Amino acid sequence: MTEKVVKTERPWNVVVWDDPVTPMSVVVVIFKRIFGYSNNKCTQLMLTVHHEGRAVVWAGNRDRAESYCVKLQVAGLQSTIERDE
Amino acid sequence: MAGNRLFVRRRDGRVEVRLNDAGRVIAREAFGRVVAAERDPTHEWHAGLNSPIDPSEDSDSLIAALDRQREIATNAELAYMTLNEQFLNDPEAWAWLSTLQIALRSTAVANGLLSEEKLATCEPELMNFIRTIQQFLFGLAECL
Repeated sequence: MTEKVVKTERPWNVVVWDDPVTPMSVVVVIFKRIFGYSNNKCTQLMLTVHHEGRAVVWAGNRDRAESYCVKLQVAGLQSTIERDE
Repeated sequence: MAGNRLFVRRRDGRVEVRLNDAGRVIAREAFGRVVAAERDPTHEWHAGLNSPIDPSEDSDSLIAALDRQREIATNAELAYMTLNEQFLNDPEAWAWLSTLQIALRSTAVANGLLSEEKLATCEPELMNFIRTIQQFLFGLAECL
C-alpha cells in the first residue's frame, strides 16, 4: 500500500492598508468594483482596514493576487501581496 | 435632494458634474499632477505611484509594474481630457474617482501625512486641498 501525500500550497493574500485621508465610502466603492463583493462584505472589509490598519481582501494564487493588487493600486489604495502564514 | 451635490447620477446612467469653475481648477491641478508624476521619475508623487506589490521581493514583476503604469496613465489622461464635460459616462466617472484618489493619497505620502496626528498638524492650504478632494470623492462614490 502506498501513501499519497497531498501538498497544498499556501495561498497569497491581497492586503489593503489604512491611511488617514481616504474616505471610507470610496474604499467600499473600490472593493465592490474590483471584487464584486456584496455591500455588507465591502463595508466589513473597509471597517477591518480602518480599525486594524489592514485587511486581507482576497486570497488565492499568486498571479491573481498580483493582478488584484495592481487594480487596487490603480484605484489609489495602498495594497500589497504576501504569502499566507 | 440633489441641490448641493457635486455629482449626480442621472436616469440615463451618466454622471452629471456640478463643479463650479473653482472646483474644476482644483480637479485640473489634481489630474495634471498625476499625469505629470506618471511621466516624470523625479516628480514628488512618482515614488508613491510605484509602491511595492510584493515587499518581500527586491523588485516587482515587470509585467505587473507596466500594467499599473499603463492603467494609471490611461485613467489620468481620460480624467484630464473630460475635465470640462458636464456629463461623464461610467468609465469616465471611474477614471475621475481613481485619479482623484491617487492624487489624494500621493499628496498625503509626499507630505508625510501618514497618521491622523500628522494630518491634524498640516498647513491650512494643504488641508484645504485635501478636504476639497475628499469632498469630490464623497460625491463621486455616491454615484458609482
